[in-house]
Amino acid sequence: MALVLEDVSLQIDRNPILEQISFRLPIGQVLVVLGNSGAGKSKLLEVIAGLLKNQSGRIIYGGRDLSALSPQERKIGFVFQDYALFPNLTTEENILFGLQARQAPAREQAKWLKVVTTELKIDHLLKRFPAELSGGQQQRVALARCMVLRPEVLLLDEPLSALDAASRERLALLMKKIQKKYRVTMLYVTHDHNEARFMGDQVLLVDQGRVVQMGSPEEIFSRPVSRFVAHFTATRNILPGRIRERCGDGQALVEVSGAQLLSTSFPVRGEDVWVCIRPEHFSFVEASSEKSDENLISGYRIAQIIPQSGATVLVELMNRRERLMVFASNRRVEDQGLFVDNEVDIVVAASHVHCLPRQPEDIYCRPE
Amino acid sequence: MTMIVLGAGLFFGSPFLALLHSFAAADGFGALLNPQILLVVGTSSVPALMATGLAAVVGIALGYHFTFRKKAGGRWLKTFFSLPLVLPPSAAGYMLLLAFGRYGLIGAPLYQTFSLQIMFTTTALVLAQFFVITPLMMQAASSAFQQVPESLVKASHSLGADEYTTFVKVLLPLSRPVLVAGVITAFARAIGEFGATMMVAGRLKTIPIMIYVKAMGGDAGVADGLSLLLVLLSFLVLFLVNFLGEKR
Repeated sequence: MALVLEDVSLQIDRNPILEQISFRLPIGQVLVVLGNSGAGKSKLLEVIAGLLKNQSGRIIYGGRDLSALSPQERKIGFVFQDYALFPNLTTEENILFGLQARQAPAREQAKWLKVVTTELKIDHLLKRFPAELSGGQQQRVALARCMVLRPEVLLLDEPLSALDAASRERLALLMKKIQKKYRVTMLYVTHDHNEARFMGDQVLLVDQGRVVQMGSPEEIFSRPVSRFVAHFTATRNILPGRIRERCGDGQALVEVSGAQLLSTSFPVRGEDVWVCIRPEHFSFVEASSEKSDENLISGYRIAQIIPQSGATVLVELMNRRERLMVFASNRRVEDQGLFVDNEVDIVVAASHVHCLPRQPEDIYCRPE
Repeated sequence: MTMIVLGAGLFFGSPFLALLHSFAAADGFGALLNPQILLVVGTSSVPALMATGLAAVVGIALGYHFTFRKKAGGRWLKTFFSLPLVLPPSAAGYMLLLAFGRYGLIGAPLYQTFSLQIMFTTTALVLAQFFVITPLMMQAASSAFQQVPESLVKASHSLGADEYTTFVKVLLPLSRPVLVAGVITAFARAIGEFGATMMVAGRLKTIPIMIYVKAMGGDAGVADGLSLLLVLLSFLVLFLVNFLGEKR
């Protein structure tokens, strides 16, 4: 059982919006759709919901072809970016809108209203109008309005983008909990990669209406298939390198910025590569405590220490040719006495050195 | 700048001042109480109300169609339905005569088969006013529907509501103030309609026709009284429309 898209294409006024989108999402999983604004993420959701009609391709849920069905006939819930609560209706009326449109019996309406509003902790807001609710509360009402219909698939279009950091965190946890409890299949659009990592069982990266890469968050973030994906997932360190030797044991020796690094993820052919290393995959070491299975990089000095959210800092390292960005915990920075202008050694595991084929004409892009 | 505003004020104000002056001098108030004049107000209001009701239904339907069911050629069709807005009313009236007159394209078979005569009856007044005000209503409805956020309509559909339920439960309540303002404006336009009505009225007298006849015949009292009535009505309409606009 799965939600399957087969070569779904959409044109609006003859402009291609989605081009041959295909994927398979097992039922009960969360697919995070990542991409720039205008990449076609929201349109993809609208096509799945039946609000836009795809010109070609099929949408199949649990073996049933949904393509010819109207939005009313698909059991798909849609949470809009602006929540789309009806301003003339109270919380209760908003939540019951779908059940009433389906002419559900009053007892059923009352039952599900109670279940869902208790779960989402909005049972005290039933008589209020949307204008009297906070952003987070509005979002809960929008979620409740879908959940009372017990949808098989829930589509969420950047549900947290309009909220402050605290509500965002609370709601992300709540949504995850509800998703797990009801095992609802979820498509979750965002452009925030932290959200993507937290919410997603699978991540689908879309650019200009096409699928660029699909995989587990780990795969997308650690082994991007292109420089676009690497950039988009904030890999930050994307350096030009050359493969010196393929060792035959699944490892290759790659030269980057004067250092020789071992990598376990590299193209089969070609010498010129982009070396992608995520900032969280480096760690600082004392020069003496070098571990044999990790690549040691030395000769960098600290240029800047930039505080981040949570208890982390982003450390900018420079040598004569390159710049590296490295995440570290506040604690680490204090314990090891890291200061600007200090010379430091860092290590990175071979499994975290990911090489992408580089065309000779590619322009070298500096990390930020 | 100030000079222009002052000049304009003088120019636009002078007809109103002149009307008030003439009204006081010619005992317009007394003329208004004349039963014959009250009858004119009646024959004017009834067709105007009927035309407004009809235009409200048809105009809202057209506005809905052109807002939500965009089809090829829709823009041409919408332009066609807007034509009466700029068409000289006398031409509109003349064309209605050609269509619905006793020897007209549609009027002739109607007369021959059912001995039904439309022209020069109250029905003719309703038709003429309906013809002129429906585009107005259509435009009001279009702009009313356009200001309802698209996501609300999509949300309604995704929650399982069909087109009719979405119209009744979402679109209509959310665009009510603009629609009501449209209906009020359309009524004012209908009751004040002169050109097209004149062409099809025959011996029937609406307020604007009466004003024309009396003014030309030198009976200032009635013309003054009726004119003032229309001025007051216009004032009330603008006031209501602004009020509804603020409420939105």
